[in-house]
Amino acid sequence: MERGGKRGKVSPHGQHPSRKPKREPKIKTKKKVKRDTKKKDMEELKKEVVMNDHQLTLKELSTKYSVDLTNGQSPEKAKEILIRDGPNTLTPPHTTPEWVKFCKQLFSGFALLLWISSILCFVAHGIQLYFNEKSSSDNLYLGIVLAVVVGITGCFSYYQEAKSSKIMESFKNMVPQQAQVIRGGQKMQINVQDVVVGDLVEVKAGDRIPADLRLISAQGCKVDNSSLTGESEPQSRSTDFTHENPLETRNICFFSTNCVEGSARGVVIATGDSTVMGRIASLASGLKTGKTPIGAEIEHFIHLITGVAVFLGVTFFVLSLALGYGWLKAVIFLIGIIVANVPEGLLATVTVCLTLTAKRMARKNCLVKNLEAVETLGSTSTICSDKTGTLTQNRMTVAHMWFDRTVYHDDTSEEQTGKFTKGSETWFVLARIAGLCNRADFKADQETLPVAKRETTGDASESALLKFVEQSYGSVKEMREKSPKVAEIPFNSTNKYQLSIHRHEDGSPGHVLMMKGAPERILEFCSSFLLHGQEFPIDDKMKNAFQDAYSELGGLGERVLGFCFLNLPSSFSTGFPFNTDEINFPMSNLCFVGLVSMIDPPRAAVPSAVSKCRSAGIKVIMVTGDHPITAKAIARGVGIISEGTETAEDIAARLGIPISQVKARNAKAIVVHGSELKDMNSEQLNQILQNHTEIVFARTSPQQKLIIVEGCQKLGAIVAVTGDGVNDSPALKKADIGIAMGITGSDVSKQAADLILLDDNFASIVTGVEEGRLIFDNLKKSIAYTLTSNIPEITPFLLFIILGIPLPLGTITILCIDLGTDMVPAISLAYESPESDIMQRQPRNPKTDNLVNHHLIGIAYGQIGMIQALAGFFTYFVVMAENGFMPLHLLGIRLKWDDPFLNNLEDSYGQQWTYEQRKVVEFTCHTAFFASIVVVQWADLIICKTRRNSVFQQGMKNKVLIFGLLEETLLAALLSYTPGMGVALRMYPLRVTWWLCAIPYGIVIFICDEVRKLIIRKRPEGWLERGDILLTSAEELRMTRVPRARTELDTSERAYELEADTE
Amino acid sequence: MRRQLRSRRAPAFPYGYRHRLDDQDEVNQNYLADEEEEAEEEARVMVVPDLEEEEGEKEEEERSQGKMTGNAWWQKLQIMIEYLWDPERRMSLAQTGQSWSLILFIYFFFYASLAAVITLCMYMLFLTISPYMPTFTERVKTPGVMIRPFAHSLNFNFNISEPDTWQHYVISLNGFLQGYNDSLQEEMNVDCPPGQYFIQDGSDDEDKKACQFKRSFLKNCSGLEDPTFGYSTGQPCILLKMNRIVGFRPELGDPVKVSCKVQKGDENDIRSINYYPESASFDLRYYPYYGKLTHVNYTSPLVAMHFTDVVKNQAVPVKCQLKGKGIINDVINDHFVGRVIFTLNIET
Repeated sequence: MERGGKRGKVSPHGQHPSRKPKREPKIKTKKKVKRDTKKKDMEELKKEVVMNDHQLTLKELSTKYSVDLTNGQSPEKAKEILIRDGPNTLTPPHTTPEWVKFCKQLFSGFALLLWISSILCFVAHGIQLYFNEKSSSDNLYLGIVLAVVVGITGCFSYYQEAKSSKIMESFKNMVPQQAQVIRGGQKMQINVQDVVVGDLVEVKAGDRIPADLRLISAQGCKVDNSSLTGESEPQSRSTDFTHENPLETRNICFFSTNCVEGSARGVVIATGDSTVMGRIASLASGLKTGKTPIGAEIEHFIHLITGVAVFLGVTFFVLSLALGYGWLKAVIFLIGIIVANVPEGLLATVTVCLTLTAKRMARKNCLVKNLEAVETLGSTSTICSDKTGTLTQNRMTVAHMWFDRTVYHDDTSEEQTGKFTKGSETWFVLARIAGLCNRADFKADQETLPVAKRETTGDASESALLKFVEQSYGSVKEMREKSPKVAEIPFNSTNKYQLSIHRHEDGSPGHVLMMKGAPERILEFCSSFLLHGQEFPIDDKMKNAFQDAYSELGGLGERVLGFCFLNLPSSFSTGFPFNTDEINFPMSNLCFVGLVSMIDPPRAAVPSAVSKCRSAGIKVIMVTGDHPITAKAIARGVGIISEGTETAEDIAARLGIPISQVKARNAKAIVVHGSELKDMNSEQLNQILQNHTEIVFARTSPQQKLIIVEGCQKLGAIVAVTGDGVNDSPALKKADIGIAMGITGSDVSKQAADLILLDDNFASIVTGVEEGRLIFDNLKKSIAYTLTSNIPEITPFLLFIILGIPLPLGTITILCIDLGTDMVPAISLAYESPESDIMQRQPRNPKTDNLVNHHLIGIAYGQIGMIQALAGFFTYFVVMAENGFMPLHLLGIRLKWDDPFLNNLEDSYGQQWTYEQRKVVEFTCHTAFFASIVVVQWADLIICKTRRNSVFQQGMKNKVLIFGLLEETLLAALLSYTPGMGVALRMYPLRVTWWLCAIPYGIVIFICDEVRKLIIRKRPEGWLERGDILLTSAEELRMTRVPRARTELDTSERAYELEADTE
Repeated sequence: MRRQLRSRRAPAFPYGYRHRLDDQDEVNQNYLADEEEEAEEEARVMVVPDLEEEEGEKEEEERSQGKMTGNAWWQKLQIMIEYLWDPERRMSLAQTGQSWSLILFIYFFFYASLAAVITLCMYMLFLTISPYMPTFTERVKTPGVMIRPFAHSLNFNFNISEPDTWQHYVISLNGFLQGYNDSLQEEMNVDCPPGQYFIQDGSDDEDKKACQFKRSFLKNCSGLEDPTFGYSTGQPCILLKMNRIVGFRPELGDPVKVSCKVQKGDENDIRSINYYPESASFDLRYYPYYGKLTHVNYTSPLVAMHFTDVVKNQAVPVKCQLKGKGIINDVINDHFVGRVIFTLNIET
């Protein structure tokens, strides 16, 4: 925590960044000021990285950090700085303490509603006590029960989330890293966290960069920046200042990236949170995330429920005053009615439903960190996906070859089972060059692994070649043993080629020179080319073919390498001292063999997943740090830019017109470069997001990713972001649902995400979407089911007030329904299978397709609930009448009935009842009313199963639901018939006939709803236009409309094609 | 068509949410429609679409944007008001007048049908229920007990020398006993033989006769000789009445008896009680009771307890119990079944 306070202002160029305390949310006093600074900091974080260290000369650098560039700092000074700046670690993302998390579970959304009602109950009880109102302690019990319910549910969901965060914990690996620094002229190994600004650091291949470094010397150094920028290829590093943008310049290495090749020495220019990586991480952890869609839905629901409750409460408050009750009584009634409207069991039901889905998703490799995020994927309308590692495998693989004037394709799937075998002589030569003129090697002890899975040392493209040769040609090791390397010129950016000289394979004294590199460079060295093993002189025809192939492969976003060789004349036989500095061997008139192109290939499951998202109405946007061409190629490969759609450039190229003449709206796809994005205002970004269906953002910085996500959200979309790198984490956090990769993902990204794909498979997202949509539909059903019984629970109290009849249903029995019999059936609806193909639907519109809307309330309260209430009252009157109290006799009897001193109350037959005797009858009525609610809830459960289909179409395949029916009945019987219940819960055994009273009403409910569904199915639009009373939600509308929307889409596409052709 | 539908369905959000795919197609279609009008324009890759093209929409958007910038609460209120009554479309709560009338009609029809259903059910209920005999009497099998005078309290607190403290008991008793006046009883009811049930066979709906219970049976507690029912002398009369229960018959030859004693404390606090009728029992001739519809003049028998010698100036808890076969007087949570407990506190 003490580190948290020291989080500096984030400007790595400042030597002594002012250490403003900025995140101590616990201190309440300076809240306002703090919020302002925090806000400012956030804004600053969102801006691009500003630093100038890369532009300084070494001398300036030395002065700036007052460090000797050969001997480094003195250990004493380092210690000072360490004390000043704090250790070189990222502040762990502001983790909320456990008790705060727990309290959040206890006091959020729905729980708050229950707390308020609980408090209201205590208030009512307090009033009654204070004014010595003789009455039962119902309000006290109700208050306690409500509090207990919230408490238990809170604990439960806390436990659930704690469990998934425990799985999270296991991801963290806490291996302390070492760094080699030079202090006072001495090389020493220290812990990474002790590295300070100004230290001289040495890194070599395989090391993790310990802090942001400005290089002062480098030998063939390459770093893997993929976790920071998303570039899949290693970037070479030197001491030259090559680009204004610190992220692109060559002389800066970034904290927590990896050095994959060579070695380098640099000055630490920033540590810990002020590093570029640290800034992104703190940007991510500083972002406020909005409400989850389901959270918003629940809030909407609470508004509706409270609206109804307050309306009813106030109405009856006025009514009861008008009826002559005292104000005290009226207030008690008011509170009673408001509390009675709260569905006590719903919180638990929703929590359990979400938990069940979360578990189901975890089984399908989607680990949900936050319960409410379960549904979010279902409402997602836009997915912003990172490319590297999410859509692609994040490893270079040989994709194409060009030799013998033909392009060959290689298998790029994850398993790489297909072996590439060609009988051509040229192929053997090509494979030999690829294997020999190659510095990559397999790491030891991996013989048992399949080739594709083995780890290698060295450059990604060389590794790709190595694996490729190993797989399709044979053991590279053997090959290298047979023809040992005698000399080599490694690849560098000025040469753009790599050369090596090997002994002949057959042991003859001659040597062979092999070369690979940038194709145009290689071709310059050559005078002949190999065709089916025969050498031919290079002619124009061949050159043209080469150009075509090169641009074709390049256009696929692949990295292309050329290969050539030369059998050295016999004068260069064994023992010849090859000198690679002053070249003493021929390097011209080589023989060109072919081209090999490599790419980080898309994962196999991605294209089908993308197309599934498409058909589910979800827009998939690629947001990557990689280059536009590669990005576009992958986008095409996975279907983010679908076949047949073109970007403005494509149209221009096809029609042969300048790009400025292409009408923007004709191009449905677009590739936006990060530098263009930088100059855009939000309006322009909106235009892009609105007017193009297929979008690729390339070369984007983490901040821009954030802006894109915000842009989508501003347009009303619910955005999912997938990513694995640190650069994705701000966007992951900002998104409505952030999806991180479990295997390859960085810890920071996992921290920021809401959902983790344990198998790194983009296709799991589709499962997530499906589950999310299903749970939304099913929650709707659960809520409809649960809400319905609210009416038969409230009306008894209302009639008790108005008509003065003995209370037909008591608090205990209400709780028995809400927390007992209704629970399992409501939860069982979560197991309901979808009514139609949910993946063919549009995503729900968060503004109109609500979880609970007035249609649902209207049907639950106004129709089904009313029938249920009638069923209850009928049973009540039957019990009363059969015991001697005729319905009319009951009207207005309330005061006498509830008078404990009146022990000779006359019934309709003139019999006289003691207080206790008639109370037993009253409680029997409660039990009977309860039983009849259970009976009508059977019917309600069956009709809530479906919202559109008939039960006969849908069937009763949901076993949990059938179990729920049985369970609720058994529980009701148990409550009624267990001896001693009369004392414990005041529930009494019922006659069999009293159970049957409600059955006709159950049948009425069933028939009514089947008719309603029939009308919806037959004439959806007709009823809709004339007042949508019968519809339960916009969901039905959506269901019926989709096919039409799809045909429209088709025709518009066709029209677009026609128009494009005529242009 | 689709667009109309949508806007009608969501009037509170007039500017559509256009992030959805189909909406975008719609936009594209708009483009297609007036594509011939305008020639060309625009630059580079990410082009801003022509503004003129969607003039109407733009305007609307701007308007709403202006609204957006205003106070959020004010805006919410406006939306709310527009939702309640939208003058432009003449809609209230997102429904037009026509659809409102349809809704009302359907709900009216629906509730009318429900009313019909419940009426039918109630009718069936009354068919199965006899107006003369309750269907079940299991909940009132054993009679409860009440005492008179009754003033919403079971504490008899009075001072002999202050008539104001006991006058209301006297009034209450007098009022209660009006129905037992000898003249009235003789006029209305028959004098039936004691010691046996007064069974009247015949069909259920035949009127039944009732046996006389005369006020004079209560002797000293009848208020005829002592109009103060003994309260003026500190010897209060308390009448005990057994609750009526249709068809209740005490054991033959063993009428229900009343006996009182001190509930807790010194037995000798009450030294003597006189019961009237002297048998301290409810005679069998008053049973069975046939229900108020046919047994109109039924007069509940009484037993008067005359507390002739009770300790004064001290609260004495008294428990009066019914005794007899079939009588339960020890139900734990009902203190009025077969017994009654009250306290006497007579001050001098």
